[in-house]
Amino acid sequence: MGYVLGVFDFLGAVVVYVARTLAYLFTGRLNLRLTTRQMEFLGVNTIPLAVLVLSFVGATICYLLAEELGKRGAAGYTGGFLLVAMLREFIPVLTGVVMAGKAGAAITSEIGSMKISSQIDALRALSTDPHWFLTAPRVVALLIMLPVVGAFAGVAGFYAGYAMVHSKIGLSYASFSSQVSTFATAGDFYTCLIKCLIFGAVIAAVGCYMGYRVKGGAAGVGREVTNSVVVSIVMIFGLDLVLLPLNHWLKEIL
Amino acid sequence: MLQLEGIRAGYGDTEVLHGINLVAKERVTTAIIGASGSGKSTLLKVIMGFLHPTAGKLIIDGQDVAQVSEQEFAKHRQKMGLVFQESALFDSLTVAENVGFFPYYREKKPWGKVLPMVREMLEMLDLPGIENKYPSELSGGMRRRVALGRTLIYKPKILLYDEPTTGLDPTMIGHVDEIIREMNEKFQVTSVLVSHDLESVLDVAEHVFLVQDGIAQDVGEPWHLLTSKDAQVARFTKSWREHVEMYRKLMQSKGFDANGTPKGEAQ
Repeated sequence: MGYVLGVFDFLGAVVVYVARTLAYLFTGRLNLRLTTRQMEFLGVNTIPLAVLVLSFVGATICYLLAEELGKRGAAGYTGGFLLVAMLREFIPVLTGVVMAGKAGAAITSEIGSMKISSQIDALRALSTDPHWFLTAPRVVALLIMLPVVGAFAGVAGFYAGYAMVHSKIGLSYASFSSQVSTFATAGDFYTCLIKCLIFGAVIAAVGCYMGYRVKGGAAGVGREVTNSVVVSIVMIFGLDLVLLPLNHWLKEIL
Repeated sequence: MLQLEGIRAGYGDTEVLHGINLVAKERVTTAIIGASGSGKSTLLKVIMGFLHPTAGKLIIDGQDVAQVSEQEFAKHRQKMGLVFQESALFDSLTVAENVGFFPYYREKKPWGKVLPMVREMLEMLDLPGIENKYPSELSGGMRRRVALGRTLIYKPKILLYDEPTTGLDPTMIGHVDEIIREMNEKFQVTSVLVSHDLESVLDVAEHVFLVQDGIAQDVGEPWHLLTSKDAQVARFTKSWREHVEMYRKLMQSKGFDANGTPKGEAQ
């Protein structure tokens, strides 16, 4: 029973954190200085890692696709297949996983350390809402930066895929990208964007929640950082499953 | 004025404060002393509204705020300032941003107006030229003074100090005591000092309460700590009194008075 209540408490807190952030954002009370700092710290610094991961994935997928499609004389579809897979799954999910490991962990460890060193109490003593100062800038920063990081990583993954296909079977760029517009639609781009926005907000909210939950010194910080990463990754894959019909709906609308 | 009437508070099922009665008179420095685990920190949490009391009245400026909502309490909190034991400076902000936190982030003053205030405050705290440093680059004493500056800059009516001299060297203790006295004279604040440091209490406080087992006892003026026959006060100050006596005897045996002046030269 206690475990079930804990899950509801956690889910409720994540929803409240995101809702309060959106309230700050739409009522003009969000501090831009704090938000841009977090965008740089949590977002820009994650670009190289996400680029590296998506490049590996793009190259691996293209290696397999080139082998299978090449045998059937359909190597020209490789670029199209890769782009669709990237937009629908790899960009939002894998960039989300990278973000959870780097930015989510950083959020939890920073807020957790602030909690054990009385800095959260100091904020309250200065009549400042910790959610305004800490949660909102981080949620907005990841909300904006996950799609940005995803865009960089996606482009890198696509070209890494091309480099692999070119080196393996000598496919030209014109052939590689010839079927891209046939496969990928505007719905795929919007699916990718919406997933990135949702995952970004969830990672930041989970990171903050776990940070505020820290108890018992440095060991407590370590424990919650691990929880933050694990829970964020599980939530990304769970939400990815829940959002499966999204692409279908968007295609119907657009 | 800050007044506590029959305050009961604790954590979960454990009650730590069993009906605290305490008055911190306006523009007077009141010290709260007590052994570790006596409930001093819990008392401070209740006063700052971090912990809601289960019973009793917490009267700030004539208004009972013991059971008001967090939002309502936040308004009263602006009248109070707390200097934390371990400074609690914001690691990600520079010294200037820490000291200017309240006017910049809370009062939304432009940074151009906040910076001169910060510089003036740092000058007053004998910390010039460190605006752009981060807390991790400062010594413990400097951090303590920066934390003091962060609180003093918004001129609270009630100033609470949580062990302000713990872990400082004797020179720095004297300096912090001097700052506390200066602040009281300059800004006419009501100060509440939670401390173990009895010398510091003797130096700056005008009224003393002893907290023991979750109950506050009115000791009166600080010098009563040296003479009180009350069993609880005597037990708490026993070792300190012995040290004072030992120091007096040592000085006497070497031919000096309590100020370190040779007896013949004393005026």
